[in-house]
Amino acid sequence: MAALLSMDSLTGGYGDADILHSVSLHVLDREIVVIVGPNGAGKSTAMKAVFGLLRIRGGSTTFDGDNITGWSPNRIVQRGICYVPQVDNIFREMTIHENLEMGAFLKKGDLTAAYDRVYELFPDLKERRKVLAGSLSGGQRQMVAMGRALMLDPKLLLLDEPTAGLSPKYMEQIFQICRDVRDTGVAILLVEQHAKQALAFADRGYVLAAGQNRHEGTGAELLSNREIAEMFLGG
Amino acid sequence: MGLLEFINFYLIPGIVLGSIYALGAVGITLIFAILRYAHLAHGDLATLGAFIALAIVTSAGISPLAALPFAIVATAVVAVGIDKVFYEHLRERPKIITVIASLGIALMIRAVVQVIWGVDSESYVRGISRPDVYFGLRIRDREIFTVLAMLGLVGALYVFLKQSKWGKAMRAMSDNPNLALLSGIDNRVVIMLTWIIAGGLCAAAGVFLGINTEIKSMMGWHMLLPMFAAAILGGVGRVEGAVLGGLIVGITEELSVLILPGEYKAAMAFVILLFMLLVRPTGILRGKVL
Repeated sequence: MAALLSMDSLTGGYGDADILHSVSLHVLDREIVVIVGPNGAGKSTAMKAVFGLLRIRGGSTTFDGDNITGWSPNRIVQRGICYVPQVDNIFREMTIHENLEMGAFLKKGDLTAAYDRVYELFPDLKERRKVLAGSLSGGQRQMVAMGRALMLDPKLLLLDEPTAGLSPKYMEQIFQICRDVRDTGVAILLVEQHAKQALAFADRGYVLAAGQNRHEGTGAELLSNREIAEMFLGG
Repeated sequence: MGLLEFINFYLIPGIVLGSIYALGAVGITLIFAILRYAHLAHGDLATLGAFIALAIVTSAGISPLAALPFAIVATAVVAVGIDKVFYEHLRERPKIITVIASLGIALMIRAVVQVIWGVDSESYVRGISRPDVYFGLRIRDREIFTVLAMLGLVGALYVFLKQSKWGKAMRAMSDNPNLALLSGIDNRVVIMLTWIIAGGLCAAAGVFLGINTEIKSMMGWHMLLPMFAAAILGGVGRVEGAVLGGLIVGITEELSVLILPGEYKAAMAFVILLFMLLVRPTGILRGKVL
């Protein structure tokens, strides 16, 4: 089966210095893939590279049959990849409903179906649709951020540390939402700081270190690897 | 002093002056919310709007109110043009460079106005306008038009920002520029809309100042400080705050004459500005960008 997203030997960084050194990864249809690794390993950078926020100096990224290397974020969004940044990922001064509307800014025509789909995934948000997003709790903000990204019916959702700063209860909730989202036909690539929990929940995982591939495999395989357990996961 | 005298000679002129300041302050606050710099050419843009209306009034022989829509359109075009020619290159540079550039633009606009129209005071209509008396309140027609036009224009802007797709996009860009770009909102369109609105409101401020007082090349420059005081007073980034701030500054200026010599009237905006920056720099309505 051809991969939905495949990154081949990608090298690049924000400025002149390379942060990623020949990183390769792929995501299949309807798959949840997690990138873990120590701080500064280039996890978030790898994700931003997919979304066209990086200066690429080698390798390529292919999505759904198109070579999207060097595309602008705008064009990538329209092609079917949506990205949820780790911080500042909502419009605080706008209502939940308006946040979703902005997520669908590029969409022409009736938005009813898109709203229904997102509100079905996040029933809590539907009740509070008129509430300013900035007044919500951390977990609910994350839901708004994911909801905003899902408004364009992406085929692939990029989540940058969606559980950062959340309590274990919310973390479990966000993971459950990821499964629900996947069940609607969306593949997910996420970066996680909570490596153990994330590997246990994801289909497959990649371990990056110093901007390079270190390990890859199913969540269970990686969790049972002694080296990974000691080096990155704190035993 | 009786209540009627207080209302007729201080409160009503204060509200009228405040409405004029509000028209300018709304533009200042919008530019700050979306482009993140203080636009120092705002007063002189208002002067230009007033003189464009004067040119239309004298050449076409219509009333200044009839000339207002044309002046609004023309000034909006000039504002967009200034942004394209001068400010656009500086967008990625530190904001202070654009602030200084806008001071240069202010001087340039004023020089152009002085070259074309001269440095003398002009007026749209010759003769004295007598106020009508309603239940003891002395109100001139032009004063009613000024306040109504301000409420109408700002009300329309408010509805635009709350209801329309591009109005919401402007709020989104002011709220979180990066996320707005990630959502596919075109910032060039948002910036152009900002200048169209700010330029148009500037022209309205200039024309109404001209209708209520006189038209001269320094008129807008003298309004700059009160307009900034109004924007900061109301909370930078808040349209309704800029209106409230404008009214407070205008009324305070008129009331100051009761306790201070008239020459200090112009210093009131400065006092309000200092006071707000010391006591509550976020403004009355808690500005979102400061």
